[in-house]
Amino acid sequence: MSGKLEAALARCRELTEDMSFASVRSHKEKTGDGAIGYFPVYSPLELYHAAGYLPVAIHGGGNQIEITAADSRFGSFICSVVKSTMELGMKGHLDVLDGMVFHDICDSARNLAWLFERNFKNKLFMEYFHLPQKPDDAAAAAFLAGEYERIYTKLAALRGRRPDLDALRKSIGLYNINRDLHRRLYKLRSERPQDVPTAELSLLTRAGGVLPVEEHNVMLADCLAGFEARGNKHRDGIRVVVEGSFCEQPPIELLELLDAVGCFAVDDDLLIGRRWFDEDLPVTGNPFAALAEAYMKSPVPSSVRHNPGVPRTEALVERVRRHKAQAVLFIYAKFCEPGLFDYVLFKDVLEREGIPHLLIEFEEKMWTFDKARMELETFVESQLFAYD
Amino acid sequence: MTDTPSEKPKAAGHAHYQGRMHALQKELITRWYKDLHGVWLRQQASDAVPLPGPGAAGAVPLMISGNCVELLQAFDLLPVYPEINALQLAIRKKALEYLLKAEDMGYSTDNCGYVKADMAFYLEGAETAQGTRIPKPSLILNNFVGCNTYIKWFEHLAHFTKAPLFTLDIPFLQGEEPDAGQVKYVADQLKDLITKLEKVSGRKFDIDRLREILKLSARSEELWSAIKATAKNSPSPYEAFFDATTMMGPLYVSRGTPEGVRFFEEALHEMEEKVRLGVGAVAKERFRVVVEAPPPYPYFKAFRDLFNTWGACSVASTYSCVGGTFEFGFRHDPRDPLNSIARHMLVHNVCNRNYIQRYDQILRYIKEWNADALIIHSVKSCRLFSAGHGDMREFFTSKGIPTLYVESDLEDPRYYSPAQMRNRFDAFFEALEHKKYSGKEMKV
Amino acid sequence: MIYGAGVDVGSTQTKAVVMDENRKVLGQAIIPTGANVIKAAEKAFPIAVKAAGLHPQDIAYVVGTGYGRYKVTFGQSQITEISCHARGAHFLFPGTRTVLDMGGQDTKAIRIGPAGDVIDFSMNDKCAAGTGRFLAAAAEAAGLGLDEIGPISLKGTRPVKLTTVCTVFVESDILSYLVQGKKIEDILSGVHKAIATRTLSLAARVGVDPEITFTGGVSRNVGMVQALEERLGLKINISPDAHLAGAIGAALFAVEKAAALTL
Repeated sequence: MSGKLEAALARCRELTEDMSFASVRSHKEKTGDGAIGYFPVYSPLELYHAAGYLPVAIHGGGNQIEITAADSRFGSFICSVVKSTMELGMKGHLDVLDGMVFHDICDSARNLAWLFERNFKNKLFMEYFHLPQKPDDAAAAAFLAGEYERIYTKLAALRGRRPDLDALRKSIGLYNINRDLHRRLYKLRSERPQDVPTAELSLLTRAGGVLPVEEHNVMLADCLAGFEARGNKHRDGIRVVVEGSFCEQPPIELLELLDAVGCFAVDDDLLIGRRWFDEDLPVTGNPFAALAEAYMKSPVPSSVRHNPGVPRTEALVERVRRHKAQAVLFIYAKFCEPGLFDYVLFKDVLEREGIPHLLIEFEEKMWTFDKARMELETFVESQLFAYD
Repeated sequence: MTDTPSEKPKAAGHAHYQGRMHALQKELITRWYKDLHGVWLRQQASDAVPLPGPGAAGAVPLMISGNCVELLQAFDLLPVYPEINALQLAIRKKALEYLLKAEDMGYSTDNCGYVKADMAFYLEGAETAQGTRIPKPSLILNNFVGCNTYIKWFEHLAHFTKAPLFTLDIPFLQGEEPDAGQVKYVADQLKDLITKLEKVSGRKFDIDRLREILKLSARSEELWSAIKATAKNSPSPYEAFFDATTMMGPLYVSRGTPEGVRFFEEALHEMEEKVRLGVGAVAKERFRVVVEAPPPYPYFKAFRDLFNTWGACSVASTYSCVGGTFEFGFRHDPRDPLNSIARHMLVHNVCNRNYIQRYDQILRYIKEWNADALIIHSVKSCRLFSAGHGDMREFFTSKGIPTLYVESDLEDPRYYSPAQMRNRFDAFFEALEHKKYSGKEMKV
Repeated sequence: MIYGAGVDVGSTQTKAVVMDENRKVLGQAIIPTGANVIKAAEKAFPIAVKAAGLHPQDIAYVVGTGYGRYKVTFGQSQITEISCHARGAHFLFPGTRTVLDMGGQDTKAIRIGPAGDVIDFSMNDKCAAGTGRFLAAAAEAAGLGLDEIGPISLKGTRPVKLTTVCTVFVESDILSYLVQGKKIEDILSGVHKAIATRTLSLAARVGVDPEITFTGGVSRNVGMVQALEERLGLKINISPDAHLAGAIGAALFAVEKAAALTL
């Protein structure tokens, strides 16, 4: 079993680092499907899948590409993921895609969409949709369902397909399985963090960004069994909730450091969009309404979603309690406006509750981790050491 | 360091035009601050009897971008614009003190300086430089029109003031026209807002009163557009970037009032007089430029000097369109109040329009206002403006339009390097001078 | 008697301290780190042991700290310099609640509890703004040595305002003040004040409680000490042994761990 797990994880790493998107190209050749890139945080993958495309997560170039062209398009104070995504476009890495879908998670990401439109419209179509910032509003859910129907119909038409609601319901079913497997993996990690290191779990989720959902489901199920079969012995350390990397992804090396220094994540919001719903979506009825209503009602807190009814601050405290965590570790991308703003309110509430926290900033192209290591070690030491 | 005299004493030390419009503007804004202070005073005395008049029902913060100030006015509620709080601090050189306080609270150096300065300002008692106070919000109107950062701003304001929050969700404009569903989606939310405002203000909604206000707004908008059009003259009587800020206060606060209309009438009259007399906004107009993005408020005068030194006049600016792109024809419509407010928020302000539409807007300025060059002032704080400015420079340069790109900030003085900035401007205008006045024609 | 040692492998110097279970410092060593980090640790340790009048086998426990802590291969455990500096500063000044540590590349603010335990800490980001490196750039632009600028800054009566604490821009700002004919002492006074502001803003993130102890290389700069005290309105603790604080803290951890093992 464990051999299978290691092999799967090695494959995930390879897929995650491959900025030529070879697996996407071969999937297209094999199946005749199209491919659509989508930008974080949440995107309705079911729509793309049902319209005949492989949904491909585009969240920057990680530390695998050099930024040589995109710096001329964005100022010095723009986050890595926006710049490196532009770089991917400018260097032709995204030519394997038919199009890109964006929405307004933040001001930089929204502008990126229109830079794509201007610079790459000859080779990529650009679609943009609006995710309402008005939860608990029936009109907003109806509006979003309309957005989804518009996008789906257009995408299907581009592939010469007529709208097929049954196909869409089937896609929802497949992604229900995918989300359920993620939930089970996260539950296991919270119970046995020493058996499910954050870096490995993150690689597994990231691989879902390029693999077809059918294949990813099999991989997740295999790995879940693999992790369950592990029986690593307990190590000294602290249990933390990781918050802040919902969009740009921290280097895997940084996540590996967490386990190395005994800072065990028992919950996180890495690529939270893949785990947006904590219940299965209905596979009957109007699928656009199902997707839209689930989005609007989803209790998953996110720094890119306005939801005053369920303040993110209180939700974070609740996550700390639910997972019996001792502390919160904020891992924010440098220049991430939504994340860094939320930190202030989180800090205010965590201090009220007496919950320790630490903030680490990262950039995609971070190669040395000495400073992060020292901060993390000190943080763990400050929680573990007893003084006279 | 900021007021170092230029090493090339071309036209430095130029006194800016001060007309009756400037006195009127000051009067309007002072009055607004006084009214806000009155609300604050009433909040201090719990047994106070509400008085009639502006602000009688309280004060409501909202965002300038696509603001629906007319609705507040119809309920005797005063607008509070957190952007104006912040820029006032910056222009009076008080921003850094508040920015540092905000950073002490945990705000990142990389977060928007407007938000940081304003939050610290609120938490320190909200006392303006004039000694008046900004009252506690009766309601926070989270009008989400393009700027995601604003959602955070209002969430923070709600977190720390415990005031109720109402969100208007305005879908981002994609094509030139929104579809009917989008207009209805917004207009329906405005109806919910009206219900909420009735509750907050204790007043019944009177659609005829709103129509009257919108009629005045439409008139102010007409006059404002005419003022902007005077800048098509050469020399331009009107400074469309620096002096536009004089117009922006009345536009956001008073456009739906008789005093507001009077201000714009006076301003237009003065500009037309200047055209008649052939008087320019800068002493000797040698260059006509379009400016993109907000000014560096902490160095407002020093930055303006960089233009004056070279006889460069801004003939158009995108920043003056945050509240509305009125020069292209949109007017509020008293016959169709809610739909026209919805269309203003959706379509006719620079923040809810996409980046490519901004390129088109600037191209129109360059052609119709006959400009020589584009100046992009990329501010770190505001990514809505600045994310993509490099691409914008590339676009305009490739069209043969001389473009200067500089980086600093609208609030944080730490990002402005006077010596560097002067070098960039001087080098740019030296080249432009060569191009414009050495017989070579510029292609636009 | 139980003995412990702390070895602090810093980027420029390696320090070692030997201590007994009564927390008495018996011996110390300071040597340049050089290119070979392992060698530096192996060299400093016996010098300190010898100074204590002991043999290496007498030392029950060794704790490594500093950026090269994992290269103290003969040590039993590694603890970060933040935890060690906190303990060390507390040892030097038991009333310490806040430690400001300014080195060449980074500045740290550490809030500590009554027992020298780390409650919270913050560091500058990777930019060198407001660190020793900024002072070095200022000294270079002014054509002075790093040791000279502190004393000169004390003579300033009308400090200039620096708009930025960016290490890249500071040189052009200083040159432009010099061109304007500003006095060098006023410029340097402004430089020190700008860094003090930046440092205390970092410290404010963890909360500044007295007593405040200033450690790291920059603590030897009298201009910086004065600028910080002015800005704080408080006296701050300075010790000639401040550079040993990390090694002392590591040695304290070592004797405690050794005592725990022999229980």
